[in-house]
Amino acid sequence: MATEQKAATEDVKMDLFEDDDEFEEFEINEEWEVKVEGKEVTQQWEDDWDDDDVNDDFSLQLRRELEKNTEKT
Amino acid sequence: MAYLSMGEAHRRITDYLNRFSDAVFSQDGPSLKQLLSFSSNSPSLLALADALNVFQDANRLIKQSEKYSQYGEITAPLFRSLQSYRLGNLVDTYSAFEKAANAFIQEFRNWESAWALEALFVVAYEIRVLAERADKDLASNGKSPEKLKAAGSFLMKVFGVLAGKGPKRVGALYVTCQLFKIYFKLGTVHLCRSVIRSIETARIFDFEEFPKRDKVTYMYYTGRLEVFNENFPAADHKLSYALMHCNPHNEANIRMILKYLIPVKLSIGILPKDWLLEKYNLVEYRNVVQALKRGDLRLLRHALQEHEDRFLRSGVFLVLEKLELQVYQRLLKKIYIIQKQKDPSKAHQMKLEIIIKALKWLEMDMDLDEVECIVAILINKNLVKGYFAHKSKVAVLSKQDPFPKLNGKPVNS
Repeated sequence: MATEQKAATEDVKMDLFEDDDEFEEFEINEEWEVKVEGKEVTQQWEDDWDDDDVNDDFSLQLRRELEKNTEKT
Repeated sequence: MAYLSMGEAHRRITDYLNRFSDAVFSQDGPSLKQLLSFSSNSPSLLALADALNVFQDANRLIKQSEKYSQYGEITAPLFRSLQSYRLGNLVDTYSAFEKAANAFIQEFRNWESAWALEALFVVAYEIRVLAERADKDLASNGKSPEKLKAAGSFLMKVFGVLAGKGPKRVGALYVTCQLFKIYFKLGTVHLCRSVIRSIETARIFDFEEFPKRDKVTYMYYTGRLEVFNENFPAADHKLSYALMHCNPHNEANIRMILKYLIPVKLSIGILPKDWLLEKYNLVEYRNVVQALKRGDLRLLRHALQEHEDRFLRSGVFLVLEKLELQVYQRLLKKIYIIQKQKDPSKAHQMKLEIIIKALKWLEMDMDLDEVECIVAILINKNLVKGYFAHKSKVAVLSKQDPFPKLNGKPVNS
């Protein structure tokens, strides 16, 4: 339809009135089950990530830098 | 358009008028809803629009009988709107639709039960969507777009009709969500405040009694508002609610919730699992998460630069920028652990020189004063426990829990 093509080009100009994250409408009678428990919900986040492991690449490089530093001084 | 006889046009129009008054008479919400749903582009509405454009004088038909004229205040402008819609004239479509919607609200107000709520929802939705399209037309013709703002005023009126006591109140949240969409688009989010107050302070109606789809949408938008206000515990609560209750099959909406929830979680020291970023295509956060895990200030800086536009547009840039303190904390902790492995007795004395060297490696040139200032901020925010030994240029770390975890609380401000 011609109007659709027009709309597409106007989107670019109408930058001022935009919300990129406009929530999609649910259907008026849309029904769904809520998963209150379960893997999905609990395995999304990590709150105990702040470990003492210093064997990753970044930490190994950091150690090398710090040791370089002590040799110089 | 195929040829349409006058007789057929007449038949379609009277058919619509009959269905309209029958739906009202029998209080049949679902049928009435279909008669108002323009943007569904249903074949029967489009056929009616063609008939109206052939017949031209539908007003005469409406006035012909009491049965039709009773709702003429609604149907006459609705017909004009539909005609304009079919001809692609969206500004006239909107103006006529707003007239019909006002007349509809007048009737709705007088209906005691809530049977017509679904039809009202369609009116509320249509008026917003038609206003957006009208504004696009106005703007592209160099005129000032003003219809969406007008639709907002109309919906505030609708909200007033619903928000009181009684069976119609259950519909107030749907209208609120349509208002949020308008205010977020227009950039007038401060106007959300009065509706939020009305929803949240109501003693007569429990929030949980609203329909799930509206609760999820409401929590998404109010959660975003809390992000803008940097009220992270409240944002976490609202967006987590939206995430947990959202239709699991609506991935686009889940992605939008996460787009705001992830920075909120990061700011209280909780990281998203990598599969979550992958599944919902939010990989712009991956390096930010990595930077936090490593204590890699350089990576954080690069991640923010790389996606600066995206983060600024969604308004989370400032939230992410503030993660820098947590990354400093992590870096100092790494230095501390490395020192401890080498010489446990001296690990809690951290020379500022050492920090300077580490930062230099991360391409950040800082002098003693600057590093001292950073450490002072970390101590002040309770991200580091310890004190300065000024003369020796050493930060003396507490022997017990020198790097307290946030444990789901925001950094002290």
